[in-house]
Amino acid sequence: MTVRLASSTKRWLELVPLVVVLAASAVGLALAREPAGRLDPARAWCAPSAARPLGCGEAGVDLLSLVSSAELRAVALAAAVALVGFAVGTPLGAAAALARGRLERAVERACDLVQAFPSFILALAVLSAVRAPSRVHIGAVFALTAWAPFARLALAQTRVLRDASFVEAAFALGRARGGVLLRHVVPNLLGVVAVQLGSTGAAIVVSEAALAFVGLGPRDGVSLGGVLDQGVAAMLRAPHVLVVGAVAVFATSAAMLVAGRAAER
Amino acid sequence: MPPPAGEVAPSGLEARARRRLHGTAPFTRAARLLIAQALEALTVVVALASLVFFALRLLPGDPARLVLGDEASAADLARVRATLHLDQPLLTQYGHFLRGLATLDLGDSFRRPGTSAMARVGEALVPTAQLAGVAVALGAVAGIAAAVAASGPWLSSRTRAWVERVLVGLAAAPLVAFAPVVTWALAARARLVPLPGDPDAGPAGLLFASAMLGLPLAAHVGRIARASLQEVARAPFLAVASAKGATPLRVWLVHALPAVIGPIVTVVATQLGALLGGAVVLERLFERWGLGTLILDAYASRDLPVLEGAVVAAGLLFVVAQALGTAVHVALDPRTRGAS
Repeated sequence: MTVRLASSTKRWLELVPLVVVLAASAVGLALAREPAGRLDPARAWCAPSAARPLGCGEAGVDLLSLVSSAELRAVALAAAVALVGFAVGTPLGAAAALARGRLERAVERACDLVQAFPSFILALAVLSAVRAPSRVHIGAVFALTAWAPFARLALAQTRVLRDASFVEAAFALGRARGGVLLRHVVPNLLGVVAVQLGSTGAAIVVSEAALAFVGLGPRDGVSLGGVLDQGVAAMLRAPHVLVVGAVAVFATSAAMLVAGRAAER
Repeated sequence: MPPPAGEVAPSGLEARARRRLHGTAPFTRAARLLIAQALEALTVVVALASLVFFALRLLPGDPARLVLGDEASAADLARVRATLHLDQPLLTQYGHFLRGLATLDLGDSFRRPGTSAMARVGEALVPTAQLAGVAVALGAVAGIAAAVAASGPWLSSRTRAWVERVLVGLAAAPLVAFAPVVTWALAARARLVPLPGDPDAGPAGLLFASAMLGLPLAAHVGRIARASLQEVARAPFLAVASAKGATPLRVWLVHALPAVIGPIVTVVATQLGALLGGAVVLERLFERWGLGTLILDAYASRDLPVLEGAVVAAGLLFVVAQALGTAVHVALDPRTRGAS
């Protein structure tokens, strides 16, 4: 009993970093006395002070409000894309493994390819078709490849499950393949596949920052990558901008990664 | 209890296993592998190219207007539409595009009339291939060195655990966050390496950028190599080598390492996509000329032929590097060459 309690407490503990990041962002937004992105050239690149705890960036943008809202948006985008990937990839991988044969091999190969694919280049290419990408565009581009790791895991896990006696029993009782898939296979692999949610989320946070860093960020300019870009431009004058941006990307992606482990059984 | 061998007719699975074990004729095996690889490479490149093609034409918005901006005159728009074949049905356009792809001729660059798009891409491909090549070399050597150091008898068990922890941390570290900070510390503070954008950076600049790009790769390689080395650590052939008087370094480098080259090549191959993405970020950070800068440049100036060409070239680079990886694996690990 104590062991079970300890492990479930530990699982909740793994959500703590993400909660801390979200809470810090919310507090930061509340403390900042102005909306993200308000410019005041008079205080450009000002160092951290009591009034502006994180200092200012390019054209005097307040870093606290910018980083706080960018963090909240990055987490929301990552969670949405990871959930879409999860919802698409899990049934796909499970169905492929249950069907066996050619379809199974094709899906497996496709997953390998998509996972090794230069997805960042793909994102650049597709986003070039829109004049100024919005968060929906960016999310859609990431979703193009986000399903693959989920499908891969579901496929591997279904290979184990498909020979289990309860699956055989379900088939013997005359249940159709779709029914077996939904009622017996998918519920049993959710725990394993859900672990991937964290690493996919972390990857999305980093990719979004990287896209904004190279200049393909959301059109409102509120992105962690945008902060990093400002920091690099003013590396010699105002190094605090770079440090703030890097710490924010690091903390957000690490928190997502750790939170994913909470789903582990 | 399993039935004794030879008493049951071989099942389909067994027959297949046997065929795999003894192999069909070596030539057909190699040829089949080669054809499959080439087909797959072709699929990747064509799929990537088609995605770009259709994204530019099917998403809302007029590509000609995207190129020229809102104030363009009707005559200019018509001219760009004719150059891009936008006035023809979509399938005809696609045919044009595929033909251009096959003959490596995607038309002239919009922004530099008279220069073919592919020439600009070819120019940019060299520095990026250099950057990625040096990064793979550095990453593989550093990763393997860390793995061998952490597997052999040289370090205390506590140090080995630390090596493992550092590798895990580095593998998860986002390049876009740590590369600028390291650059700031080493270039702006310590003045050990050239500053970003320094035109005289030369080999030192290339080496530093490649080291940044290769660092996550080194961590991935190190983790996989260490795990694989631990699997073979108790294998009899290593005990034999030791018994014959080989030094620990020789045992690990000459005897153990070739046996684990397969997983190492695989992990490098799966990281290639990330490496290309990282190259774009680093080219932007260090203001180096290359494929990534060209893509960003073509994006910013809406130079569609160059953009299409550059993306296809990135796909090509990826496919060629993967094929090279397979070749290295086959060359180094005798088990992949098939029996008989």
